[in-house]
Formats: sequence, C-alpha cells, structure tokens
Amino acid sequence: MTTQTLDKTALDTPILEFKNVNFSWPGGHGLSDVSFAVPAGQFVLISGPSGAGKSTLLRLAVRLEEVAQGEILLRGSPIDTFNPPELRTRVGFVQQTPVILAGTVRENLLMPFTLQVRKGIPVPDDNVLLEWLEKLALENVALDADALTLSVGQKQRLCLIRSVLPKPDAICFDEPTSSLDRESRECVERVAEDLAGQGIAILMVSHTSYHPACPHMHVTVADGKVEVLS
Amino acid sequence: MTAPFISIAWPQLMVALSLVTISGAVSVYYQLKLEKDLAIGAVRTFVQLLAMGYVLNILFGLNNALLVMGLYAVMAFFSVRIVHGRVKEKSISYLFPTTAAVLFSCTLITMLVTKVVIGADPWWNPQYFIPIGGMVAGNSMNALAISLERFFSELRTRRDEVEMMLCHGADYKEATVDIFRKALRAGMIPSINAMMGVGLVSIPGMMTGQILAGANPEEAVRYQIVVMFMLVASTALSSIIVLLLVRRRCFSPAMTLLLRNGNGK
Repeated sequence: MTTQTLDKTALDTPILEFKNVNFSWPGGHGLSDVSFAVPAGQFVLISGPSGAGKSTLLRLAVRLEEVAQGEILLRGSPIDTFNPPELRTRVGFVQQTPVILAGTVRENLLMPFTLQVRKGIPVPDDNVLLEWLEKLALENVALDADALTLSVGQKQRLCLIRSVLPKPDAICFDEPTSSLDRESRECVERVAEDLAGQGIAILMVSHTSYHPACPHMHVTVADGKVEVLS
Repeated sequence: MTAPFISIAWPQLMVALSLVTISGAVSVYYQLKLEKDLAIGAVRTFVQLLAMGYVLNILFGLNNALLVMGLYAVMAFFSVRIVHGRVKEKSISYLFPTTAAVLFSCTLITMLVTKVVIGADPWWNPQYFIPIGGMVAGNSMNALAISLERFFSELRTRRDEVEMMLCHGADYKEATVDIFRKALRAGMIPSINAMMGVGLVSIPGMMTGQILAGANPEEAVRYQIVVMFMLVASTALSSIIVLLLVRRRCFSPAMTLLLRNGNGK
C-alpha cells in the first residue's frame, strides 16, 4: 500500500481520499489499510481479480457500505459528516448492471432531478439531453422512447448520462463496460476520460487490458490489499 | 321454550370431524405430506375453539373490562406470532412494527365499531368486543403477512433499483415508493375484493352464524355490512403502520439497504 505522489497542489485538495480504510464482510474477506487520494480531474483505473474488493472500494465511497476503521474524505471532510443523499449528489455511482426504470428515456435521464435533495435545481432541457445522447452515440434514441426496450449497451450509456447530468464532483463506475460490445465499451470509456478532462474525479473498475488515453492512476486490488501504481 | 336453532350435539360434531378425512385422503393419495398439518390443524381447531367457548361463557358472566382486554391482548399476541411464522424474512426484526400495527389499528377500529356504530354499553361489552376484535385481528393478521411478504420479496428482487435510486440521492422513502405502494395494495386488495363478491358469491361467516342462530336475516345483513367496512379499514390501517415502521428498519442511518443475502452482501 502506497500513497500516490502526484502534483502537490492537486494532492492538497483531493476530491476523494481514502485514509487507512478497513472493511470486512461478515464472511471475513474485505479491505485492509487502504490509502490513496484522488484529486480533481484524476482518472483512477481500479483492477484486480474477481472478489478482490474492487466494487467494495467504490461502494464505500458512496456509503453503500460503511467503513469499519479509517475514514474517507470528500474535499477534506469525512463522508459521514454529509447527509447521505447530499453526499451521493456529489459522488455519483454507475452500477455494473444498468438499472432502468419503467418509463421514457427522458423520464429516466431526469429521474435524479425529481428527488427531494435536488429540489430547486434547474432541470436540463431537451437540448442538453439530446447533446448527451449524441455524445454517447445514442442519437437514434428518441427521448420519448420506452427505455426498457433499449439494448443493454444503450441502457448502460443511458445510466452514464443520468449520473453525469447532475454534475457530481466524482463518479464511481463499477465495471460499466463488462457486458458491452466493443463499440459501446469504447464509447463509455471515451466519455469517462472526457469527464476527467473536465475536472471530474473518475474511479473506474475495469479490465486490466484497458489503458485510458488520459493521464491516469492505476490501483490494483488483491486479497483485500490495495496497491497504487503510477 | 326451544332454541331458535338446531343445537349440534357431540356425536354430530364427530361426524363433522370425519369431513377432514376427505382432505387427508387427498393428501395421502397425491403424497402431499399434509397429513400431519391437517391432524394438528383439526385438533387445534377443536381445542382452541372449545377453549374460547368456555372462556367467553365465563367472561360474559363476569362482565369485567380488564378480563375482556386481557383476552383481547392474548388474541392480538397470537396474531403477531402467526404473522411471524408466515413471513420468512429473518434479517430485519419486525416484531415491534407488527405488534404496534395490530394493537393500534385493531383496538382503534374495534372500539369505534362497538362504541360508535353498534352503540354497545359499555363499549367493551364482551358479547360485541371479543367477536368484533377477533375478526379485525384475524383479517389484519392476513393483511400484515401479505404486505410484509410482498415488501421484503420486492425489496430483495429490486435491490439494484433501490441502490440506484439511493446512489442518485434518493432517501429511503423515495427509493422504495413503488415497492411500498405494491406491498400496501397487496395487503388491502383481499378485503376490497371480499366486498365485491359478498352477497353474490358468498354469505360471510358472521352473517351465516347469526342466521343459523336464528337472527333476522336483515339484522344479520346490517352487522355484516359493518363488518365488511371495518375490515377494509383495519387491513389498510395495519398495513400502513407496519410498512412505515418496517421500511425504516430496512435502511441504516446512512441510507444503506440493510437487507442482506446469505453471504452477508
């Protein structure tokens, strides 16, 4: 376990920081003494064998699981000092299996804006939604289309847009490309890299053969231990 | 003066008991392995109802409010126990929610019916309070079991959807609004459906009992109407209370879903 030594100024204000984080599942396995910091605009690629704890790492960042020891900081403040819905507006999470609700594409994309925590926040108009659909090669998908009839790849890209629209500080992607064809996979990876370029911290669990085109940090997880590679 | 109905003697009761053997024969022939449950059920029906008959006889004679409430509490206790036997979820405790739902909704509805609708004096008059309370508790028990079973099974099968909503900043209420609605509907629908078929398809138990006991059918009908409406109210009230309390218990203060699978995940 080492702490990534990046640009000092950037490290001074990391968006997310894991500090000596320990976690264990009831079965015994988990994560031990995890420490690394993710500055704004950093692309963090997380890899490791199945069951090593990669997804757990991301779930801890949005408090879907609770840290047993140590702490995770969001812009310097422990995440448990945030109201959980508020925390999750700032740290997005895209699940491995795309989850789409019954309804139209528009309703799915705008779902986060119907929640109490975003009351009063301006809702993106159709032009913004169409721009995003185009960016993710979904220009043929109508906003009024039934979202449940889309393919898995289209649904996954829809989930990505839904997480990006509310403009979080960081987004955690839990193997978002595992069930996608090559074209969809590259599309998702390219957009994630673009988002990092715009200053959003990206944490992506992905296969080892993927090498982001943007500057990135590589984190490997094995047997509950996390190693940070440059 | 003879009774306005035909009294059932012990030998006739034994003949009725033999009807259970039809179910037993079906179970044996098709190897359903229901014989043990059937035998236990038959014995329990016999013992529990006979005991209730004796207790009611004594209660009617004593006319004591505390004893009436005591018997009512025993009925409520067993209805909670039966709900626990029927709902299979073990990772979330729902003893308090179920008890609160039964005690609050059933007591409130039973009191309303005996005091305001029937106008019994005193309102705890065992002749009215115990049978009405029993019917309310029995129906609430079914509604609670159906609501809880549906709620937990939906929560498990739609776990990814709930977590997706939480990850977008939903609170636990927003993340489960559809599941809550479905569970509540499931609990309320049987008593609403019962209103549709009553009088056309079925003559309900209470009305049947009154008619068999020699009551004027029109009087029996009025009681039955009251019963149907009170059951609709009590099933709705008890389902809402239990779901509101249980839903909160399914989430940690960090708005994390606590319902786990066998491996803890």
